[in-house]
Amino acid sequence: MSRYNPFYFVGQALKSLWRNSVMTVASILILASCLIVLGSFALLVADINLNLDQLGLMNEIAIYLEPTLDDAQVEEIYDTLRTMDNVDSITYVSKEQGLEEMKADYADYSDLFVIAEGEENPLPDMFYITYEDIAKATTLEYQLGEIEGISKIIFRLDLAAQIDSFKSGVSLVFIWFLVLLFVVSLFVIINTIKIAVHARRNEINVMRYIGATRTFIITPFILEGVIIGLLSGAIAYFAEWYIYTYIEQVVQTKIRMLEVYPFSDLSAYVLLGFLLIGTVTGAVGSSISLRRNLNA
Amino acid sequence: MIELQNVKKIYPNKTVALGGVTLRIEDGEFVFVVGHSGAGKTTLMRLLLREEKPTSGKLMVNEFDLTKLPNYKVAHYRRQLGVVFQDFRLFPNKTVYENVAFAMHVVGTPTSKIRKRVPAILNTVGLGDKLKCYPNELSGGEQQRVALARALANNPKIIIADEPTGNIDPEMSIEIMNLLLKINRLGKTVIVVTHEKSLVDYYQQRVVTIEHGRVVEDKVGGMFE
Repeated sequence: MSRYNPFYFVGQALKSLWRNSVMTVASILILASCLIVLGSFALLVADINLNLDQLGLMNEIAIYLEPTLDDAQVEEIYDTLRTMDNVDSITYVSKEQGLEEMKADYADYSDLFVIAEGEENPLPDMFYITYEDIAKATTLEYQLGEIEGISKIIFRLDLAAQIDSFKSGVSLVFIWFLVLLFVVSLFVIINTIKIAVHARRNEINVMRYIGATRTFIITPFILEGVIIGLLSGAIAYFAEWYIYTYIEQVVQTKIRMLEVYPFSDLSAYVLLGFLLIGTVTGAVGSSISLRRNLNA
Repeated sequence: MIELQNVKKIYPNKTVALGGVTLRIEDGEFVFVVGHSGAGKTTLMRLLLREEKPTSGKLMVNEFDLTKLPNYKVAHYRRQLGVVFQDFRLFPNKTVYENVAFAMHVVGTPTSKIRKRVPAILNTVGLGDKLKCYPNELSGGEQQRVALARALANNPKIIIADEPTGNIDPEMSIEIMNLLLKINRLGKTVIVVTHEKSLVDYYQQRVVTIEHGRVVEDKVGGMFE
């Protein structure tokens, strides 16, 4: 059985894109703009998460130990913590370490800590633990309260819950953005392909009479959508690169308290994401348009 | 072989385009289908091209039962046919060679075969020296000959010509009709839909006359009333 030449389809798609160049350029620019907005939002979400994680407060509990405990009792509490459900990591900070950390944090006032050294050290030995699941955090808090030898538990559940809901909110907005931009881009592609089909309707009619299969007729149009998607993805990637690198520099020089991912860490995801979303949008847009405008 | 048995076509607005046509065309026949505007000629063509399905009756073209033919097999069926239109329907941005070659590309013919066959067909229709011309550089008669070459490209068993001489001058019309007869002598079934009385009378072939959606006359060498 004879087979179609794939270069024929690519050639037809490129010719058609060239013939409807105004609409092609418009589609590419609109889809690229949508991708840039989407990509910027995704990167913003990634950076927000990075900074929230940097706060270190999200899932951390500070446990103050009774000052009278000996090493064996501390060891026993450590073993108990290790066996508990929902505990992710455990860090022990002795009162001497605690004082050193405090001195480092308040380097300008190190003189003040002289009186607190040695036997006079008022700080307790501590454990910092992190948990895995915020939903089970209250249970963990209760279980910790049951352990002998613990004098105080500092638990930022409220803050953790707030940050968690903020992250969920941002993710929700992100998903709606994704859907909205996908729909807008689809409409643009649908119209571009509609115009392409209209421009070639006589040709399509003749193709039908000659005995062209539906696949033969629609493949160039689907490819047209895919090419628009790929070009948009590539343009959006380079634009995003430029925009993000600029913001990265501004943050690094002017807002040092915030951290951002270097673009090189995320570039592969951005490129793949743009090309994938662009291609899928192009192919789906073309298919919908063909279904509506070409009763092959 | 083409066979219609009591074929009716009634549109949703109740217009009866064909009111029960029974007709049989044997392989290798040359048939004129004549009739006034609105008689049902175009509907008959549309049914033969399987653009539409009959409302009732039976319509067979070779081994294809067009009343039952599923949509996905239509392309395969149409490769049995070569179609020529009144307005030529050539691609203005393709050369004569490319216009004919395109018909072969569409059915997936290898390029090497296309390169051999296209010049041969164009020679048959007398356009062997116009391969590189564009349609707008040709006369109406020449354009219709390109359309004929395209219709022949995939070696179909049946040629359907819908008013093939409607857009060309009388002298060229004779030329096109002679070509269609030549093609018929090569063993193809040729159906020419026309309302040009002089041509039909001149060629003395089988004439099927349709009026008000029915075959009112079917005779060989018939005169067109």
